[in-house]
Amino acid sequence: MKAFRQIGALIRKDLGLQFRSKETLVLIFVFSVLVVLIFAFAFGPIFPEKVERGKLTASVLWAAFVFAGIISLNRSFTLERSHGAIDGIRLTGVDASNLYLSKVVSNLVFLFLLEIVITPIALQFLDLLDVVTMGILLKLFGVLSVGTLGFCAVGVLLAGMSTSANGGESLLSVILLPLVIPIIMGGAKCTVSLLVTGGLEGGFWLRLLAAYSLIFLAAAYLLADAVIEE
Amino acid sequence: MPLNLPTFPSSKTIDRRKDGRWKNFHFSSQHGIIDIMRLRASQLTKDFGHRTIVKDATLSVQPGEVVTIFGPNGAGKTTLIKILATLLKPTSGKLEIEGADAIADYSDVRRMLGVVIHENLAYPAFSPYENLKFFGQMYGIKQLEHRATTLLTEVGLQRFLHEPLRIFSRGMTQRFMIAKALLHAPSVLLLDEPFSGLDAAARQFVRDRIARERQKGTGIVITTHNTELGYLAGTRFLFMIDGELEEIAQKNEIKAETLLRMYEKRLTHNAPKGL
Repeated sequence: MKAFRQIGALIRKDLGLQFRSKETLVLIFVFSVLVVLIFAFAFGPIFPEKVERGKLTASVLWAAFVFAGIISLNRSFTLERSHGAIDGIRLTGVDASNLYLSKVVSNLVFLFLLEIVITPIALQFLDLLDVVTMGILLKLFGVLSVGTLGFCAVGVLLAGMSTSANGGESLLSVILLPLVIPIIMGGAKCTVSLLVTGGLEGGFWLRLLAAYSLIFLAAAYLLADAVIEE
Repeated sequence: MPLNLPTFPSSKTIDRRKDGRWKNFHFSSQHGIIDIMRLRASQLTKDFGHRTIVKDATLSVQPGEVVTIFGPNGAGKTTLIKILATLLKPTSGKLEIEGADAIADYSDVRRMLGVVIHENLAYPAFSPYENLKFFGQMYGIKQLEHRATTLLTEVGLQRFLHEPLRIFSRGMTQRFMIAKALLHAPSVLLLDEPFSGLDAAARQFVRDRIARERQKGTGIVITTHNTELGYLAGTRFLFMIDGELEEIAQKNEIKAETLLRMYEKRLTHNAPKGL
């Protein structure tokens, strides 16, 4: 009960801070829209085939979400470290693993809201909104949420380490991207499959995505104490 | 309205060693039991790379005792306070808070600590009320709204309950920090330079609050380079110079002028050559 209460308070605080300043929200939204627009205007008209447009859309979505995710993770920990608030939280005696879980959930919620807004915009600009049914769109959000969970599971742990170091913001990109390659691969493959065929073709990539996300979530949960306390 | 915070038993020490240091246990007249020191640090050392910032620091704090550590800038006071607050791990040494191993069981021990350091340990975008409410939820405090409002009123922030912390002056932030440190009625208070940057009224407020907490039996450690205020607030005095702690005297054993002279002499003796 105590752990749930603390995690709940931490998530409410994180979301409250992010929605109050709207700084990160605006930043990642504008960034994601720009990525979509640049790709749409650069490549849009030359792909008459649905297959090619599906591949392009998957690339655009995952590129936008991965880099917006890095911005979000960095901002999330910068807010904690800038006035020693993270030390204030540590002094309450909260388990580092609970602090980690709360950060994963709040970043997941934050990024998933972004995905709900950006995905239809990308589909519209890349001429796929008409051919994507509500069922496919919901499956797509399912894939995105599993991928985002894995991304946040790895990213929160690494952001916790990197933001305490000098040049932490750029450091996060360097150490995070190699580790989330399986998530990007699995997520992009599932997205292409959904947008082109409407299904997941055997589900290998989805299983990989889910397994990788859950394994990293469990491993990072166990490592959180060492990372946050050190 | 005064807060109904839990109080600690009034106590008196039953023995004192010949070297002037207190024994680890004291007799509690209220409960007739042997209590444990609020804080006991033994040979704490902290290295950053090849530099030793805190050297073999040994310190104990009884219930109702205010230990003032005087030291110049860069002496290692803040590092020591962060180690005592379990925010930094010492390179070596032992630390006990209320008899518990604070290095191994830091999670449990932290709830007994109230800490004021240079950083405000809170969220500038939130108001003092929102900050206390959040941290109160983390501590699991009952009747939180009432406690947060009462504490903020007591520290004189009743007109700024819902203003964001980022617009606060240094003195107002310090008042908020004290309210936050007292939120969960800690048995040990660690105050790093609590008088720094405050006007006369705010300094008096901090002194009064320290005296009030002392009467409740809270063990208090203050670090400061201000000998006058440190003397007035403290009951026992130590010097910290170049990372080394030196026990000086109890308040009833030394006058303020003598303490100041000793402190200045130590500073002069330890000043870098050529300055």
